[in-house]
Amino acid sequence: MSDDVAPRTGRGPDTADRKRLTFWGTLSSWTPYRLVVGLATASPRRQFLILAAFPLLWVLTQHLGPMLQMLRVSFTDAYPVAPGVEQHFTLDNYARFFGDYIFWQPFFRTLTFAGVFTFCTLILTYPVAYFLARHVSRKNQMLMLLLLLIPFWVGEIVRTYAIMILLGNTGAVNQLLKWLSLIDRPIPFMYTSFSMGVGIVYLTALYMLLPLYSALEKLPRSYNEAAADLGASAWTRFRRITLPLTLEGISSGCTLVFLISTGFYATPVLLGGPSTTVFAETIAGFFHVAGDEWPTGAAFATIMFVAAIFLTGAFQKLMNSLRKGDTN
Amino acid sequence: MNRGNRILLSCVYWAFVLYVFVPLLLMILMGFKDSKFIGFPIRSWTLDWYTGVFDDAAVPSAFVYSVVIAVLATMISVFVGTWIAVLLEGRKFLGRTAMFGLTVLPALVPGIISAIAFRIYARWLGIEPGMGAIVWAHAVHNVPFVALVVMARLSTLPKSQIEAARDLGADPIIAFLRITLPYLVPAILGASIFCLLLSFDDFVRSFFLGGYEPTLPVLIFAKLRSGMSPEINAIATIALVLTAAIGIWAERFTRRMSKDT
Repeated sequence: MSDDVAPRTGRGPDTADRKRLTFWGTLSSWTPYRLVVGLATASPRRQFLILAAFPLLWVLTQHLGPMLQMLRVSFTDAYPVAPGVEQHFTLDNYARFFGDYIFWQPFFRTLTFAGVFTFCTLILTYPVAYFLARHVSRKNQMLMLLLLLIPFWVGEIVRTYAIMILLGNTGAVNQLLKWLSLIDRPIPFMYTSFSMGVGIVYLTALYMLLPLYSALEKLPRSYNEAAADLGASAWTRFRRITLPLTLEGISSGCTLVFLISTGFYATPVLLGGPSTTVFAETIAGFFHVAGDEWPTGAAFATIMFVAAIFLTGAFQKLMNSLRKGDTN
Repeated sequence: MNRGNRILLSCVYWAFVLYVFVPLLLMILMGFKDSKFIGFPIRSWTLDWYTGVFDDAAVPSAFVYSVVIAVLATMISVFVGTWIAVLLEGRKFLGRTAMFGLTVLPALVPGIISAIAFRIYARWLGIEPGMGAIVWAHAVHNVPFVALVVMARLSTLPKSQIEAARDLGADPIIAFLRITLPYLVPAILGASIFCLLLSFDDFVRSFFLGGYEPTLPVLIFAKLRSGMSPEINAIATIALVLTAAIGIWAERFTRRMSKDT
């Protein structure tokens, strides 16, 4: 490595350029700076270690740390620890979950709901993504996608509230049905699994749409044309070509939406009712009261995380084997 | 392709557009209703709910609080996320896959679990619930998004430019500051706006890590729990217009920038 900045040749740089050059030139010939850089870049190995140290420290302490701490607390009998009290290792927090119906009912409800809502989101957004990727010119694709992005910049709470107004007893849907004389009395949509589903699908649709769109967009149109030339019907082309080749997008979209759906707290609180309590509300309950319930909350959160990761992992395995099965 | 199919699919698309827009438009309309009662039909209109928003000091202060949190959290996320991206992109080393997995972890943990884990960890670190805790949680949560966006941009940087700079005598740091960083600016700006919006809109982490002062989404949530009122529509509409406007502007801006460079 040469220590000097190479002199600039050719036609004279304008003044602004020369100024910048002077700054960088001064910097790189400034002895303390050269010393530091020289030490830091003495070998590729040292250079790499310096580059890697901070990110490694960050992900270990900030990304992994909270999860590990949650896991540790879930095995203790008291947290936060009051002065003078000893903390013990225990499995009681986990036993508590399996021991009581009122805990595992919302747990299974959450997983079922998340699965059903994920499927609904997929069915709803696949045709939209298909239309955008296959039937719209490239210039309009971006505009039409952008149009769909706008509502998704609006926050979770505001969008949940919008659904409350839509589905309430005097909400737009009920008023419209009444006006059309289809009903006499409002249909109680709110505080049911239906209103919750509409809300959650509304919040997550984009996370499904984008992976589907990028998978469909990558798929060469010539495949379908070739199949059509060979006499395959539209349905066969979809089933044998489009669907198998977009399984990857389906798989990542579903994983994302499933994980997000299990984590909603405010939306079920606002849109759901007593019969639709989800596990997020159960977990949150342990953090609203005195501190000694924290370990149970941590254990429950751990159970849910493990279950969600396990299910999405199994799902991805399944999709992978489907993909391989189809290409063979 | 089949014409009938195409028309059917375009109907599906426009129906979907209606589905994502109509609830928000109805919510905006309701903010102009001259009655305390939420519901249709709207018979008379008023702007009183909007003027009322500024009488209640809680709303502007929650708004400012949310913006300050979003800006601070974004600054941290952008710094850390860019650094991680530079480490991960185009480099092969032992444990790279593990490092990548750990990087995206906060984005994959479901909201409530992430909030609980941050709450416990903040307690363990001795961070009191409040602004510091929220900023920290938002920053950690947003790092993966920055890292992914910056990595995508970095992968398109022509290696020859760095080599040319090095041949002309630039040390790695100067080559990074003068070649790589300017090239990354569109990605960094795009990621910043995305983080600002994520942080500004975040509810679950702000709710579990907040002290007595609410952020805007937490305030709206608290008001909603005590009953619906057109006042909430006015607040939500202001938040909506701002976030949507920033989003659209950023989308156009970053698109133009990445085209130029």
